[in-house]
Amino acid sequence: MRALEFNDVSFTYKGSGSKALEGVSFAVNKGEFITLLGRNGSGKSTICLMSNGLIPHALPGALEGAVRIFGQEVRERSVAEFSKSVGIVFQEPESQLFCMSVEEEVAFGPENLAVPREEIGDRVEWALELVGMKGFNDRSPFSLSGGEKQRVAIAAALSMRPEMLVLDEPAYALDPVGRFELYSVLKELKQKHGMTVVLAERDPEEAVAFSDRLLLLEDGKIAGVGATRNVLRDPQKLSSLGIAPPQLSELAALLNSRLPGESFSFLSVEEAERTLSEDFFAQGRARRA
Amino acid sequence: MTVFVDLYTDADTFLHRLDPRVKIVAVVLLSLLALIIGNLVHLLVLLAFVLLLLALGRATLSKTVFALKFVFRIMVMIVVLWPIFDPSGTPVLAELGPVKITEPAIWKGVAMAVRVCCLATVWYILMFTTSQRDLVRGLVKLGLRFDFGLALAIALRFIPTFGVTVESITDAQRARGLELDKGAPLRRSKNYVAVLVPTIVSALRTADMLSLALQSRAYGARPDRTYLRDLKMRWTDALALAVVVTIFAIPAIAKYLLDASL
Ligand SMILES: Nc1ncnc2c1ncn2[C@@H]1O[C@H](COP(=O)(O)OP(=O)(O)OP(=O)(O)O)[C@@H](O)[C@H]1O
Ligand SMILES: [Mg+2]
Repeated sequence: MRALEFNDVSFTYKGSGSKALEGVSFAVNKGEFITLLGRNGSGKSTICLMSNGLIPHALPGALEGAVRIFGQEVRERSVAEFSKSVGIVFQEPESQLFCMSVEEEVAFGPENLAVPREEIGDRVEWALELVGMKGFNDRSPFSLSGGEKQRVAIAAALSMRPEMLVLDEPAYALDPVGRFELYSVLKELKQKHGMTVVLAERDPEEAVAFSDRLLLLEDGKIAGVGATRNVLRDPQKLSSLGIAPPQLSELAALLNSRLPGESFSFLSVEEAERTLSEDFFAQGRARRA
Repeated sequence: MTVFVDLYTDADTFLHRLDPRVKIVAVVLLSLLALIIGNLVHLLVLLAFVLLLLALGRATLSKTVFALKFVFRIMVMIVVLWPIFDPSGTPVLAELGPVKITEPAIWKGVAMAVRVCCLATVWYILMFTTSQRDLVRGLVKLGLRFDFGLALAIALRFIPTFGVTVESITDAQRARGLELDKGAPLRRSKNYVAVLVPTIVSALRTADMLSLALQSRAYGARPDRTYLRDLKMRWTDALALAVVVTIFAIPAIAKYLLDASL
């Protein structure tokens, strides 16, 4: 069973004249980290909102094709039911936290699911620890920084013990420090917990280091999909879709074009450093010697 | 622009630790008491008790004055206006055309002012010793429907956010040349529309997002929702409740069963 499956999906928001998604087909395997990339209005949020049933249940419109979430057709279950298996984090930090303390915020989901009290306490501590917000229990969400708010939002989703986490441009409103903290959490979710993650991004800079696959969107259609490394080999394609290619893939492309025979590709600074010092500079030294 | 100030003052006093349910019930009973009692001396005794509570909660003077400033003004108005509009009783101290100032009316005015002071202070004590979170929790535990409690909590929680929105919209409109503090009152209030409309649009957007966030976190999934934190009555809470009920019951019984005038 796939975590998420879109089969020739088209969607038009109620009252809108044009299709927000058109003929979209893709699947996400369990344990996979997939990043959706696309410029403004390309359909990232629409896919995210469909991944836990908010579309079409809360945001109506004309839905064609089949969306299956852990095998369940999206139209046949309520958002509350999907919320047990899918956690979602939105772009705006301010409007997704509504409790008067961090602890209540993280406990809210499991409380609604009638999880026993002791277990809620354990889950809250576990989730806050995971996102690096341990000890913030009694703080008001309003008083937190943007990065802290988004990490609380992640903890609030994780405390429901979902199998899949969907994040819609979670770093959008964050400063560099906030971004760094957020991506560290996502990286840990992928590497330590093997969480299934769907991440929507306009800027792939940080996310490529731990994304298994990239899915490129343009005007509601899929413009490309593949393993992160393969997609990044063509930085020009990303640019043509309005996505700024990661600096490292531009560097790799530049090196490859100047050095015939090389085919570098870097997903992280560490990888670039390792490859270049071991492989490239070592060869250069050998040649000079 | 200060839209709202949370009156809660963090401290570790007996009143702060008291179960919010006990505090809510106590405040309601003491308010009723202030309404039942009409006699000035008795009202002053009640006021003394209330001020004692204020001290017990270690209220800071500046915040208390800030919170009750408005009430002081009303008290002065009552003391001044009551005798002018109440011509009953004797002796008449002064007569000016249709206006008759009598001695009992003066005392009634003072008593009414003391009553208002008692009421306001009692509620102020509740607000400054109880965090909004405990207040909502107490109300829900006392039988308020969970969704109403949640709505109240969200409203309280978003007041500061809303204040920030108003502020940034005001700044943005000012930067575009909108003059909010100049011109005749009518013109000025017209200019505020330029702040009001974007504020409402932004509030509606936030409400839409909130509704998505609530649904995504299984809001309303089950009728038998659990709660991480429960309120527990300790013996001190029970004792405090007993004391307040007694303080309320004695005058209430005296008045309604024994027909004493208070
Ligand atoms: N509630 C709505 N009602 C009508 N049309 C909508 C609604 N939400 C989005 N759309 C339209 O659907 C299309 C896809 O929008 P979507 O929000 O999915 O894009 P996105 O990739 O998330 O963009 P962004 O980067 O701005 O968040 C756009 O043309 C947008 O105008
Ligand atoms: Mg979007």
